[in-house]
Parts: sequence; structure tokens; C-alpha cells
Amino acid sequence: MDDLFTVVGLRPEAPPPPPPKRSLRQRGVPVTAAVFLAAMVLGCLFCRALMTKDPTYMDLANCARRPCREFLFGTDTMGRDIFSMIWYGGRSSLAIGFLATALSTLIAVLVGAVSGLAPRWLDSLLMRLTEILLSVPSLLVIILLQALLGRPTVLSIALVIGLTGWTAVAKVIRAEVRRMRTAEYVIAARCVGGGFFHILRRHLAPNFLSSVMFMVVMNVRGAIVAESTLSFLGVGLPLETVSWGTMLSLADNALTSGAWWIILIPGGFLTATLLAVTDLGNALRRGANKGHSNL
Amino acid sequence: MTAVKRLAAFLLSMLVLSAAVFWIARLAPGDPLVSYYGERAERLTPEERAQAEAKLGLDMPIGAQYVRWLKNALHGDLGVSFKYRQAVPEVIRGRLGNTLLLGGAGFVLIFSLALALGAVCAWYEDRPADRVLCRLGTVTSCVPEFWMCLLLILVFSVTLRLLPSSGAWSLGAGGGTAADRARHLVLPLTAVVLGHLWYYAYMVRNSLLEQMRSDYVLLARAEGLSRRRVMVRHCLRNILPSYLSLMAISVPHIMGGTYIVETVFSYPGIGTLSYESAMGRDYDLLLALCLLSGAVVMVSGMLAQAVNERVDPRMRARRTRHGKGAADRG
Amino acid sequence: MENALLQLEHLSVSFRTPAGEVEAVRDVSLSLAPGEILAVVGESGCGKSALCKAIMKLLPANASARAEKLTVAGHDIASLSERQMRPLRGALFSMVFQDPMTSLDPTYTVGAQIAEAVRAHEPRLKKPEVHRRVLELMDLVGIDRPEERCRLYPWNFSGGMRQRAVLAIALAGRPKLLIADEPTTALDVTVQAQILDLLRSVQRRLGAAAILVTHDLGVVARAADRVAVMYAGKIVETGTAEEVFYDPRHPYTWGLLRSLPSLAAEGESLYAIPGMPPTLIAPPKGDAFASRNEYALAIDYERQPPLFPAGGTHFAATWLLDSRAPHIAPPRPGAAGVLPAQARPAPGEVLLDVRHLCHSFHPAKNVAVRALEDVSFTVRRGEIFGLVGESGSGKSTLARCVMGVLRPQSGSILYKGVDVCDPAAARAARHMLRTDRQIVFQDSASSLDPRMKAADIIAEPMAVNHIAPPRGSLREEAAFQMRYVGLDPLYLDKYPPELSGGQRQRVAIARALAMEPSLLVADEPVAALDVSIQAQILNLFRHLQAEHGFTFLFIAHDLSVVRYLCDRVGVLYRGRLVELAPTKELFARPIHPYTKSLLSAIPLPDPRKERDRPLCSFDGAAPGPGGRFTETAPGHFVLTDDGKEAAL
Repeated sequence: MDDLFTVVGLRPEAPPPPPPKRSLRQRGVPVTAAVFLAAMVLGCLFCRALMTKDPTYMDLANCARRPCREFLFGTDTMGRDIFSMIWYGGRSSLAIGFLATALSTLIAVLVGAVSGLAPRWLDSLLMRLTEILLSVPSLLVIILLQALLGRPTVLSIALVIGLTGWTAVAKVIRAEVRRMRTAEYVIAARCVGGGFFHILRRHLAPNFLSSVMFMVVMNVRGAIVAESTLSFLGVGLPLETVSWGTMLSLADNALTSGAWWIILIPGGFLTATLLAVTDLGNALRRGANKGHSNL
Repeated sequence: MTAVKRLAAFLLSMLVLSAAVFWIARLAPGDPLVSYYGERAERLTPEERAQAEAKLGLDMPIGAQYVRWLKNALHGDLGVSFKYRQAVPEVIRGRLGNTLLLGGAGFVLIFSLALALGAVCAWYEDRPADRVLCRLGTVTSCVPEFWMCLLLILVFSVTLRLLPSSGAWSLGAGGGTAADRARHLVLPLTAVVLGHLWYYAYMVRNSLLEQMRSDYVLLARAEGLSRRRVMVRHCLRNILPSYLSLMAISVPHIMGGTYIVETVFSYPGIGTLSYESAMGRDYDLLLALCLLSGAVVMVSGMLAQAVNERVDPRMRARRTRHGKGAADRG
Repeated sequence: MENALLQLEHLSVSFRTPAGEVEAVRDVSLSLAPGEILAVVGESGCGKSALCKAIMKLLPANASARAEKLTVAGHDIASLSERQMRPLRGALFSMVFQDPMTSLDPTYTVGAQIAEAVRAHEPRLKKPEVHRRVLELMDLVGIDRPEERCRLYPWNFSGGMRQRAVLAIALAGRPKLLIADEPTTALDVTVQAQILDLLRSVQRRLGAAAILVTHDLGVVARAADRVAVMYAGKIVETGTAEEVFYDPRHPYTWGLLRSLPSLAAEGESLYAIPGMPPTLIAPPKGDAFASRNEYALAIDYERQPPLFPAGGTHFAATWLLDSRAPHIAPPRPGAAGVLPAQARPAPGEVLLDVRHLCHSFHPAKNVAVRALEDVSFTVRRGEIFGLVGESGSGKSTLARCVMGVLRPQSGSILYKGVDVCDPAAARAARHMLRTDRQIVFQDSASSLDPRMKAADIIAEPMAVNHIAPPRGSLREEAAFQMRYVGLDPLYLDKYPPELSGGQRQRVAIARALAMEPSLLVADEPVAALDVSIQAQILNLFRHLQAEHGFTFLFIAHDLSVVRYLCDRVGVLYRGRLVELAPTKELFARPIHPYTKSLLSAIPLPDPRKERDRPLCSFDGAAPGPGGRFTETAPGHFVLTDDGKEAAL
């Protein structure tokens, strides 16, 4: 007992216990959404393996058939097999989503960073132009731009959507850059002689990219919605190009004939994909609202 | 910024906007004569065609056409719609009321419901009520607007046969009564509200939560105020300025949303009109509609700032700062 | 104690966090007599704020609290519901928070907020009566011209005035117990002293008891009757202020007192408590302080010590007080070893020469804020030159001008004879200027890029300037610099948010040293650090100067730090250098009234001296544009108004 009362002094600290293992779900990873989205992307990429029919073949003998064993999701009013079209058309929809977002993000980073770092006159000029672009409903802008490009294709639609979808992200990047410009780590980098591009690449970009990730993911969603809306209205992809939007543009005929599957099935896939994208985006943002309520 | 400066910026923006739309619209391929002469346009002889183009002023270079349009516009003449063969303001006036009804009712509903919903979610933060509402809201916010319209039509018009699926009033006898118009308004209005509601409700929820995390809430509770009183008097009061200015900024956003809904429901409003004019190369009409929406956006932006300055005492102080020394050292 | 106002027994508070259950308060018991001020002292994260909120039952939803007994003025509140608690809050007890900038609602006038608090307890009061009571309260907390000021909004008030307004709100319900959570931490030294004195006088006048939570032992000495020292969620020592300050029994208290720069005698280095506080997610099973305790007994690692009586009202939770433990004489506060006699190198030639520097900002059109006016001083090679000033004195602007980040409007800054403000000259000497001067900022979220690893942060200056690393790779270089500032290279791959405040500050210093600069500008480098960590960093600065001959421009608001570290001190007040002297001379014979008021406001961790020390007030008038520097003693300069000699 007595040796318990001898001075032993400092002892090295026991290493802190490893944090409890937590599942992906507990760490805020939206497992269901990620799995669903991965399945959709894979299914669309390898649609050849999944398709039971030629999605562009118009089987006029089997127009607007209810879902059955042969036509898993039925056929549309032009006799095409909806199950095959879902995967085949998903390729166009998803490709437009990703391409348009890549383009809009690129423009947003350039405009936002330049506007955030530029002298006041250039900044206000850029912001004014952005506002003017924002002041016309984007649907009209897209229709006009699309008209300039001629016959719509997947690429041109992606281009047009990308060209109109960068303003919100650019504004956030500009605000972030303005805020970070006076951060001490940026001043420290300037003190050691870091130039404009060094600071942009090493300090600004990594920090503002994380704060706009959520918006970028939401832009994927926005682009997919824009494509389907345009195609539905008949100003997007032509009817022969299969996409989720063009599939739904047959809805008018379907409504009169009560062919619910033509509306519900492609729309359901579309909405479920959008939901999965949203959940991923929200998971990226979740860290933002920390702390506990005082109320 | 002084009022003069704001006005100048506004006019300059309108000028840039009109020039841009003018150029883009005329550069795009497509035959404006089709909307004027309909099917007949394709059977015109080259001479007739040249004559028609001269009559409509389409034979000049684009720059000259723009200058002419600008001159006319400054004299209050916005041109003629090719399709309706009517002065542009006439065409727009006939549709504006319908859009204002749909958009206005939608606007009021969206912002009152969003405030209530956001406050409920914030009050029950992370409890079942909040979680269920958040999930439902996220799902509805993911439904594309046009598909929401289709679903509503499929359920309420096609299957249940409860409500009409298109137009703003019934054709023929009894059309145009208030009850009839209301019946026609239900589905488009529902689509507009559901399409935007969660976006704003979630914003209200998050800004309320941010307020609930601040120190003054703790102080208010420590002095013995009830939770409800703190929520209403302090948290809601604090998000009010930004909410009001958000409302002002959102006017064009919600108007834009009604465009799609109008088109799906064939509702005779500005939205369907814009869509038709863009598709049919109805130049003057399209230009006027773009300028109209641009003006709405810019005016609502200014409105937002004005509202903010009135409601937020901090902004108010900044405005009058030059007058008297506000800083009070001690 | 039967007549105790507050009785708290065996309180535990824990928070559920994603990383696990944090035991913020562990088995704390305390009591408070009416009219008494109890100070709860501890470093950040020791659970002192959670303790306060648990007493008010204002803990956030993710917290759970258990207490065997919690009575306030005879009300047993341990089991009360939120609804039952509400009328008691404000009337029985009330609270003042740390940051007066955020604890008032920005959308209501100060008067309306005080009135709201008044009405919360007397709902039947008529409007003129409420108004009268508001004015009374504002008068009580020393807000002059209340009639006029109750109509102002919080942002019209300075920090000190806001804290007075918060105090008025807290006193509106005539509470019997006032809980003040770091009430003066966000304030300037001179304002802090005023608020502390106000707190004490109001509490005496109203006969209320108070719990004062703070990390600053000087504040404790000035205001407290009794002290409770908290560490890792437990009270480790409690007693009257005299008992704890003059006869500390717990090794942690010893360490705290010895790490204070204001108690250090000249030429001594500070004692720095080794290591860091434990995480409270899985606290050690024995005494939480054992692994930082030089005198730890074997049993400290096994069993938690109970509170042993140490005479009178004095208790300490350490096994050293057990009858079986060896007797250990407490080390003298402040003494931790003497620096070698030749420690301070004689200053060499002039390295930095600042002449007639003026700068102003234009936050809006037609509004100019003078940040610096006619500031001149020199810094010699090998010395630590201190610049002291409160917020708004222009000290950070000065640092940025010296580093060439801001170009001053007039005046010149000569660094090694090169005029930094002259673009042509600066460009010619660009390389020398970039590598020869470095800056260290206050530790904050923005002082290090949160998305760069420590290794990359330290190596950045070399990478930017394309300097071949003398030790092979950039990583090797970073590791070397880390060891140099006393940080384990284990942390090379950590990101700043994963490091503690002291570690981050070492990374910042390592980064500044990587280029082997001659001049190090340190802008409030220890202001955000806990006392024991602050001592570590101050020792590092001392070491760098003594052993490696670095020159420092050390900018701070804390006079005791400056007194400990610096060779010469300049005092900045509203953009003007009002006094400049060798440290000893300045502290012994301050001349300018502002310097005097600053000196009188530093809280000394010595209750007997501190309690009755009068405050030297300063009228707060901005120094006029004219004035000249007069040398009153060798090397001692003071700004005097034209035509009139400074009152000596």
C-alpha cells in the first residue's frame, strides 16, 4: 500500500482510446442514396446488358401496352419498350447533368474568383452582367440560346444548360473569396511572396470549393431537371433521342388514354435519381449547421 | 446609392438586356414570317416574301433594326406581335391578369406556409415531427415541376375527375364566373406552391436554428422569458428583415416557376405567351416580355434593399450614419 | 452550511457528441453563502460553462445533468420542469455571458430589452413604471444619460457599455444569485477593470451572491471572496482567495500560478505545465492531472483523490494531502529556473526604422478612420520590442505596414536600410524582404489554412520562393523546423483543425522560422491561448531570442506578457505612440496618463494587493494631432501636448 504513495512524477500519457467505430450511416453518409445512384449510373453505362428490347424500335403492334412479362414497364404510345428506354435514356439525362455541371462550375470558378479578387470596377461590371443574365427566366434564355445552336443534341443541350447555370455558384465563390482575401493565412502567404495564382490554387480554391460542393451537386440536379423540362416542352432533345425528358413528352397522349405507366415510371426514376443526388448534396452540407440550440 | 444613380443603372441594364435579346433572337435560325402568315408563309413567292419582310422591317441590317425599335420604344411604341397582329402591350395586357392571379396567390401561399412550416420544424428540431417534415419536403422539392403537374392532372382530373386540367375558365356557358375560375386555379396553384414551398421553408428553418444558437437567446431565457416568447419576439423578429428581402428577390423566381406550370396547364398567362413567342420568333413580343421580366427582377431587387433598410434597424442606422455620430463610447 | 444560498451536491453533466460521451462536469459539489462571490477558475474546456448552465438548467438538448441536490434560496430545483423553472430564472438567479457583442438582440433598443426583462417578472407593471425601473437599472450599472441611451440599439454601444446593459438585464428581476460566465474576457483591460469593480459594487449593494467564471487569475484576485479551481470537469481545489493564492495545495494550482508572467521575477523563465488537458470523452481513471504532474504519486494513476481538508474552508483533491503521502513543499510561484546571466544579448544595429508613419482607412465615402498617426520608433537587432495597445489602437495595421502588406499613406519604414514603402526600392530588394521578415498571427480559425497539412504549411515559404531545402526534402525541412519549436514531427500530416491552440501556434512559428528570418513580427501571438500554453509559447520566444538572436516586434494587449518578454515597450493609443521606454523604466515610472491607467488596470494575481488598488481613470480623449516626443529619462520618450508639459 505504501508504495502507492511514492512520487513517481510524470508518466507518458496513455494514448487516447480509439474513437468508437461508427457505421457509414452514422457518419452521415447517405448509404441508400449512394447505392441507388451507383446502381443507376452503372445500369445506364452498361445498358446493353440490361435492355430486353431495342429502345428505339417502334413496335406499332404493341402501342401503349400495360406492363406485362414481355414489356416489364409497358410500352409508350409509339410502341417502344419503356424498361429498355429507362436505361438507354438515362444515359442522355445523366450525361447532360454531369457535362452541364462541369461547364457551369468551370465558368463559376473563373467569374467568381476574378470578381472576388479584382478591383472594384471590374467586380461591379461582372456582377451587373450576372444580374442581367439572371433577370430573364432561364427557360427563355435556354430556348433562345438553343435556337442559336440549331438542332438540339445531347452536347448542345448540356452546353446551353451549363452556360446559364453558373450564376448562383459564382456569387457564392465571389463572396467566399472576398472573405478569405483578408484571412490571416492569405496575408501570411503574401508576406512570403506568394503570387496571385499560388494563393488562388493553394489557399482559395481548396477552401471555397468545399463550400460550393453542395451547390455544385445541386447543379447536377438542376441540369437534369432542366433537360427533362425542355424536352417535355418540346424545345429540348428531339423525340427520337431517348431521354427521360423526351419519354415524358408523350404524356399528353398518355393522359387522354389513361396510360399511367408512361407518366409514372420514367418520372418515378427521374424523381428518385434527383432525390438521391439531393441526399448526397445535403450530406456534404450537413457539417455546416453545428452547435446546439439555446432555446 | 442615390435614387438618380439607381435609375441610371436600371436604364442601362434594360438597354443592355434589350440589345442582347434583340441580337440573339434575330441571329437564331427560324422564320418569323411563319407566325405572321402561318402555313401560308411557306408558299410565298420570293417577291411577296421580300415585300412582307420590308413591311415588317426585317430587311434592314440588325443594327438598324435595333435603332429603329429603340426609337419607337422611346415613343411608347413597342411594336406589333406577328402572331396576334395586335400591339404588343395589348397582347400582354390580356394575359397579365391571369399570371398575376396565379403568381400572386402562389406567392402569398408559399411565403405564409413556408414561415409556418419552417418555424414548426425549427421548434421541433431533430424530433420526429421535424424529421418527417424535412423528409417530405426534400422529396417534394425533388419532383420536377412539370411532372408534379402531370401527377396532379392524372390523379385529380383523369382518375377522380374532380378538377379541370387546362385553361383558366371553361369554354361555353357559365365560363368566367368566380367559382369556375377558382376551380381552374386549384391544380396550377397547388403545383406552383408545392414546387417552391420547401425551398423557402428549409431556409426559414435553418435561419431560425442559427438564431436559436445565438447568445442573446440564452440571455433572454436566463432572464425568465418563455421559450415561445423568445422564439416569436426574438428569433422570428431577427430573421424577418432577411425573410422580407428574400420574398422581394423571389418574385421573378416564382414568376419563372409559373411559366412551366402555365404551359402544362395551358393556362393563358405570360408564361405560355413567352414560350409561344420564343418558339414562333415573335420578335417584338418576345423582347417586350423579356424586358418586362427583367424590369420585375430589378425592381424587386431594389425593393428588397428598401425593405431591408426599413425593417432592419442596423441598415437604417447605416443609411443615416452620415448625419449624426452614432458611435457612443463609454 | 444551513443558511447557504446555493447548495449543489454531486453534479455531473455529460454531452452526447458524435465522437462519444463527453463528461464535462464530474461530480462537483459546491455551496455559496448569501452575498458571497465565488470564482470558478479553469482553462478552456474544463467544464466551467457547463457548470453554470446546469445550475440555471439551460443546458442544450444533447446534455444530460444529474445532481443529488440542487437548492437555491431554499427552492429545490433539481427536479423542476422547464415550465416550473421559468418564473425562477431572472428572479432567483440570472446570468451574464462572455461576449457582449452577441448576447443582446440586435433588433431591439437596449431600453426595450431591459424593459422586457423587467416585465417578465412584474407583468402587471404600468408603462411609466417600467420605464422608471429601466432608467433605475441603467443608472445602477453606470450608464450615464439613461434617458437618451435607452433608445439606442446595442450596436451603438461599445463593448463595455453593452456588458453594462447585459448586467442591467440580468439584474432586472432582482436575482439573489448572479452567474457571470467570463464577463470581461472579450473586453479591453481598462474596461475589464471597470466592469469588475461595477460587478462587485452592484453585488454588494444588492446583497446578491455571485458566481464568477473566468480563466484569468488576476480577475479572480480582484473580485472573488472564494475560489474553486476546476480541472478536467472536477473541482480540484477550493478555499478563500487568500488560501488558494497564498497557500495553494494542488499541483495544478501551483502550476497555474507559476506559469503567470506577471508573477515571474526578472530573468526567470516561466514554468509551463507539460502536456495538455485530457479529453473528457474517456477521462483517465485516476487523477486527471497526474500525467502532467511532476509530483504525481503512484496512486494518482490508480484512484481519483477525494477532496482533502487543508485547514479551515480550504480543500484540495490531491493524494499529496493524504497522511501517508510524502510532504512536498510547494514551489514558489513564478520561479521555474533562471536564465543564464548573459541571456539577453546586447542589442545590435538598427534593423527596423519606422518614421512618421500615418495611415487611415475609408470604410465609406467621406468617412476616414485614422489608424496610425505619426508613429516613429526603431527596433535593434536582437531585441524584443513590444507594442501595447487596446483594440482600435492601430497595432495590427502597424504590423501589416511593416510586413509590406499595407502601404501606409505617408511616412517610411526602413528595413535594413531599404524603404519598404517605396515600390522601386522594395522590388529591388524583393527577395531579401520576403525571406528576412516573417509574421505570426493570433491563433484563430483563419491564422492557418485549414486545408493544408502542417508539413505543407511550414514548407510553403520555401516552395513559393523556390529555395532548395538545405535538409534534402521540403518534408525533412518541415520536420526539422517542427522539432526546433518543440513539436513532435508526428504532427506533420495533421490539419490545423486537428491541432490544439498551442500546437497550431507552434506550427505558425515554425513556418515563420523556416526562412531563417532576422525579424519576426508577432501580432498577439498568445492572446487566444490558455495560461499554461501561453507560458510554453512565451518561453519559446525567449529561447529563440537568447539562443538564436532573433529580433521580435511583439504586439500585444496584455501588459504582463509584454513586461515579461520585451526589452523595450511602446504604448499605442488611438493610432499614436504615446510613450516609449525600456520595459523596467516604463513599469516603474509611467508618465503618460493613458499608460498609467493601463498599468493600474492589469489584474494582478494577488488578492491582497489587488482588492484595494485604485483604478487610474483616463478621460479617453483622443490625443490631438500635434504634440511632440520629449525624452524624460535616457531612452524614455513621452508624447506631450504642444505648449504644456506632461504632468509628472
